Amino acid sequence: MMINFSKHTFILAAAFLLLPWGQVAFGSTLKVCQTCSYTSVKQAVQAAKPGDTVLVDGGVYQESGITIDKPLTLIGKNNPIIDGNFTGQLISVESDNVTVKGLTLKNVATSYRQNDAAIRAKGRRNLRILDNTILKTFYGIYLEGSEGIVIKDNVVRGENKDRTESSLGNAIHLYYTDDVEISGNDVQGHRDGIYLEVVKDSQVRNNLSHKNQRYGLHFMFSDRNVYTHNTFRSNGAGVAVMYTSNVQMEHNTFEDNWGAASYGLLLKEIRDSVIRNNHFRRNTTGIHMESSSRLDIKSNDFDRNGWAIKVMTTCLEDTFRLNNFTGNSFDVSTNGKSQHNHFENNYWDKYSGYDLNKDKIGDVPYRPVSMYSMLVERVPPSVMFMRSFMVDLMDNIEKVLPSFIPENLVDEQPMMNKINHDNNRELTQVVRKAAGAEGR
Amino acid sequence: MKLLKSVVSLLFILVFLTGCSVEPRPIPYGEANCAHCNMTVTDNRYGAELVNDKGKPYYFDSAECLAAYVAEQPEVGEKAAYLLVTDYLNPNELIDAHSAHFLQSEALPSPMGMNLTAVKDEAAATQMQQEYGGQLLDWNQVVLAVKNDDKFQ
Repeated sequence: MMINFSKHTFILAAAFLLLPWGQVAFGSTLKVCQTCSYTSVKQAVQAAKPGDTVLVDGGVYQESGITIDKPLTLIGKNNPIIDGNFTGQLISVESDNVTVKGLTLKNVATSYRQNDAAIRAKGRRNLRILDNTILKTFYGIYLEGSEGIVIKDNVVRGENKDRTESSLGNAIHLYYTDDVEISGNDVQGHRDGIYLEVVKDSQVRNNLSHKNQRYGLHFMFSDRNVYTHNTFRSNGAGVAVMYTSNVQMEHNTFEDNWGAASYGLLLKEIRDSVIRNNHFRRNTTGIHMESSSRLDIKSNDFDRNGWAIKVMTTCLEDTFRLNNFTGNSFDVSTNGKSQHNHFENNYWDKYSGYDLNKDKIGDVPYRPVSMYSMLVERVPPSVMFMRSFMVDLMDNIEKVLPSFIPENLVDEQPMMNKINHDNNRELTQVVRKAAGAEGR
Repeated sequence: MKLLKSVVSLLFILVFLTGCSVEPRPIPYGEANCAHCNMTVTDNRYGAELVNDKGKPYYFDSAECLAAYVAEQPEVGEKAAYLLVTDYLNPNELIDAHSAHFLQSEALPSPMGMNLTAVKDEAAATQMQQEYGGQLLDWNQVVLAVKNDDKFQ
């Protein structure tokens, strides 16, 4: 291989390669293994100086209560296991600039008073928690009042068999913590997969959160956060979002959240947010919205849900554009007549209109709220008459002579074909030209 | 036939009798949704309950949600047969909200961000206040704090 590097490029490349070692380069490395001079992680951590690296090489260590009180890199090689044997918290971080990487941490007992976790920090900055496996703990990662955090590529697996929700903590729990990156984690078997309370300016990407007893992701009072490319599957309910503004949720998948009061996404008192390119598949309710305003809900797929969207009358100025509604029992349901939201250019598989001028937009407006769905909202047991002759009759009469359904909940320009979100841009232009609308 | 009739009437009477008693019900943790915020009620140290004058129970995930519900609909609160919160020191035990002592302390985050912990026993509440800091409130002060969204920080 003869590649003609310019000196400049070489220096730059070298700098980049050495960058991750920045902290390590100045400290020494303390090794922990069965035959090393350190046979316990705690010993080595205590003996280390600020900026050192503690390298744990294989083996099982029956330890808990490891306190990291200086800038340190704690790295596991060859899958070392720290087993707390249910004797309390495993790692407490009491310093800034700490990295914990490549360890398996297990067995932390339920403790209502201290909320014990595998890794815990309070009031710290610049922590990196990478590539760890956390098994059978009460809380997995518990951070409070901290900032500048990376939680990446960890697996957190709780034991939720025969346990009540109260005796289970959350896999990743953040409280008053800002500027966080949570990515590539696999969290399951806890109460909430990812719990954020008062967390600002953070990114949650590429995580898989499944089989949790309550929510896959749960956040409250957490403004200006971005959630993309996550999958929330088979949780008690998918995602609950409350009392928050400026949320960006894109390219997520919400699926298989079934149950009497279950939903893919619960929005309560959310403002000025964007929900785009998500998939809602096989949920009892795709999105349940209350008191949520100025949301842009665009280019999502709602497929085979019980209710695709339940939008309560307390929601104002929400826009639903270019979404696909396919195979849902009810497309949209609401609880009253007043309606101040905007539906435009969605594809509804239940639409039976026609397109005489061949502009790919139906010539007849579509009203997605059926009378029967209003009835079910008011009298839930009437759901047992679903697909009965009387119900169909009632719905069809109502379609011809609308008197109960909200008049303004209407898509004036329903699409004739399912929308392919990938070449969405072209399509939008076509639609705009056709509609003669100025760019909205 | 006679037997059938008597069995049916007995069942009917049973259903009728059990369905209408006005009394507190244990909170079905993990199954009920909070009547105020719609979240699943899971934490058995914080659950709350309102039983209306007809005996219908409403469940809440926290005292602050019960307080918010009552603050938004005062007539419901006044007519309620029971307003109940959980004694933090005895999970699953419901106590009357009006006689409970509430510790509002940042050291004890509650489910909905108001940091409220209900305790039955006054001495225990005072002791917890010494341990965790914060302030002690009674029910009316809690309702007021929720109205003003006063997180005490």
